Amino acid sequence: MVNRLIVANLVARPMRTMLSVTAVAVEMVLIILVVGLTHGILQETARRTAGVGAQIMVLPQTTSFVMGMSGTPLPTQLADRIAEVSGVQAVAPVATQVSSNGGVTMIYGIDPKRFDAVSGGFRFLQGRGLQAPDEVLVDDIHARAHKLRAGQTVELLNHTFRLAGIVEHGKGARIFMKIDALQDLLGAPGKASVFFVKVVNPQQTAQVLEELRRLLPNYQLRDMAEYLSLMTASNVPGLNNFITVMIALAVSIGLLVIFITMYSTIVERTREIGILKSMGASNRYIVSVVLRETALLTAVGIGAGIGLSFLLRRLTGVVFPTLPILITPGWMLRAGLIALAASFIGSVYPAFRASKLDAIEAIAYE
Amino acid sequence: MTEIIRIERLHKIFRIGKVEVPALRGVNLRVEDGEFVSLVGPSGCGKSTLLHVIGGLTAPTSGRVIVDGMDLGQMSDGLRTQLRKKKIGFVFQRFNLLPTLTAWGNIALACHIAGNRNGNSRAEMQAVIKMLGLEARMGHRPYELSGGEQQRVAIARAVVNRPKIILADEPTGNLDTENSELVLNMLCELNHKFGQTILLITHNPEVSTFTDRIVNMRDGHILES
Repeated sequence: MVNRLIVANLVARPMRTMLSVTAVAVEMVLIILVVGLTHGILQETARRTAGVGAQIMVLPQTTSFVMGMSGTPLPTQLADRIAEVSGVQAVAPVATQVSSNGGVTMIYGIDPKRFDAVSGGFRFLQGRGLQAPDEVLVDDIHARAHKLRAGQTVELLNHTFRLAGIVEHGKGARIFMKIDALQDLLGAPGKASVFFVKVVNPQQTAQVLEELRRLLPNYQLRDMAEYLSLMTASNVPGLNNFITVMIALAVSIGLLVIFITMYSTIVERTREIGILKSMGASNRYIVSVVLRETALLTAVGIGAGIGLSFLLRRLTGVVFPTLPILITPGWMLRAGLIALAASFIGSVYPAFRASKLDAIEAIAYE
Repeated sequence: MTEIIRIERLHKIFRIGKVEVPALRGVNLRVEDGEFVSLVGPSGCGKSTLLHVIGGLTAPTSGRVIVDGMDLGQMSDGLRTQLRKKKIGFVFQRFNLLPTLTAWGNIALACHIAGNRNGNSRAEMQAVIKMLGLEARMGHRPYELSGGEQQRVAIARAVVNRPKIILADEPTGNLDTENSELVLNMLCELNHKFGQTILLITHNPEVSTFTDRIVNMRDGHILES
C-alpha cells in the first residue's frame, strides 16, 4: 500500500519527478562516461600496444610507462645489439611523439621493414606503405574521424605530409611516419623512444628478457604482459585524482538536487504528513515513506542514466571515433551505488524533518 | 458501562514566542465506553485542543488524561502514536483525504498503517464501504467526490480498523444540511452497530441533537454535561 502511495505521489508531481530522475541520470552518466572514457582510452592504448606483436619492450631507464612523454633518448644502433641476442626474432626501434593537432594522437616513427618484421605488417585499406620522409600512414579510425583519404595532404607537427595509405587499426599508434623523418622533426637524429622486441618462442620470453637485462643493465626492460598490466588509471599520474574530482562533482549534483526536491516536497506535503500522523503513522513510517520515494526516484534515474550512457557512447563512437568509452558492469554497479548513497544522504534530512513535524500544525498547514 | 476516557484537571498551554496562551484550564470529563458525546462551544473555547490531547496529537501541559486505561501524560510521543494507531480514528472538518490516492487507497492506507494487512481487513473494508454506501466511488480520487462523499470516505478510513474511539472535529462543518444529516446518521449507525465511542465537536446545537450527551465548553472549561 505504501508503494502505491509513493508511486501516486511521484505521478502526481511529474515535473518534480522528472527533475529528480534527470539529476540522478546525469550523475550516473557523468560517472560512467568519465570513468568509461579514461578506462576506454587506456584499454584501447594497451590493445594497440599489444597489437605491435612484441613480447618485450626496451625503454629508457627513467621513463614513464606512458610512451610519448619520455622523449627519444635511445640510440637506434642498440637495435642491432638486441637483435643478436639468442631467441630474439626481430627488433623495431620506434620514436614516439604526441600530436595535439585535432585531438591528442600518438605518432610512431618507424622503420617500415623492421616494424613489419615485429608486427607482421600493416593491412592496407587504402594506398600503400611509407616511401618518402614526407609521407604518413593513418589507421582507419583516425581516417574516419578526420575524413581522410589516401593521397591527400595532412598537417602534422606544423608540417605538411602526404597521406600515403590508410591501414587497419591496432598496431601501436594511429599515425605512422618514417623514423628518420620524425627524428629530424624532433631534433633527435639516430634516437628512438622504445624498442619493440619479438622473440622466436614466446614461451621463452623470460629467458630472453634475462639475457637482455645482462646486456642492457642501464635500460628499462619490460615484459609486454607486465607493461599492459600497468595500463590502469592508478598508474597514470593524476588520472585517479581527475576521476575522483569528476565523481565528486557528479555526486554533488545528484545530492543537491535530491535534497532540494525532497525538501520542497516535504514542505509541499506538510498537510499530508500531518494526516498520516493523525492516522497513527510513526516517525519511522514517515521516514521510510520519504526514503522509499527517494529510492524509487533514484532507481529510475539509475536505469535512465545507464541507458543514456550507452546512447551517448554510441553517439560518441559516430562523432568522435577515436574516443573509446568502456562501460563495464562493475562501474555501472559502482555508479549506481554511489548515486543511491548520494540520494540517501540528500534525503535523510528532509525525511527526518518530515517525521518531526508537529501533527496539529501539519494538519492545519495550507 | 466502563469508562473509556477520564480527564482530570487538564491544562494545556501553548507558548507563542514568550507569550503563554492557555487553551484548556482545568478540564474534567468522563466518557463511557460506547457513548456518543458532543462537545459544543464557540470557536476558540478549546474543543479542538481537547480532542487533540485525547487523540494523543499533543501532550497535556498538566493534569491526567486516561484513554482506555492509559495515562497519556506519562506516554512518549511514540507510545501516543501507537495508541492513535490502535485505538483512535480521526474525522476532520476538511476531510483530510490524501489527494493522490483513490478513496480505496485512502482507506487501505489506514489498514496498512494500523498493521491490518491480511484478508480479514479486506473483508472489513468491504463491509464498512458498503455500510457507508461508497461501493461505486472507490476508484475515484478526492477531487472527483462531493463533500459528502469525501466525508464518508474519511469516516470509513477512521472506522475501518475498528478503533475504540472516534474523534470527529466538526465533521459536518463543510457540508450542506442534507449531507450533514447523512453523515450524522452514519456516525449514529456506526456507534450502535460497532459500539465505538464517538466524541464529536460542533458549534452547531442541531448537530448535537444526534448524540447521547452534550458537553458544553467555554473558555477552556467544561460548563455542564
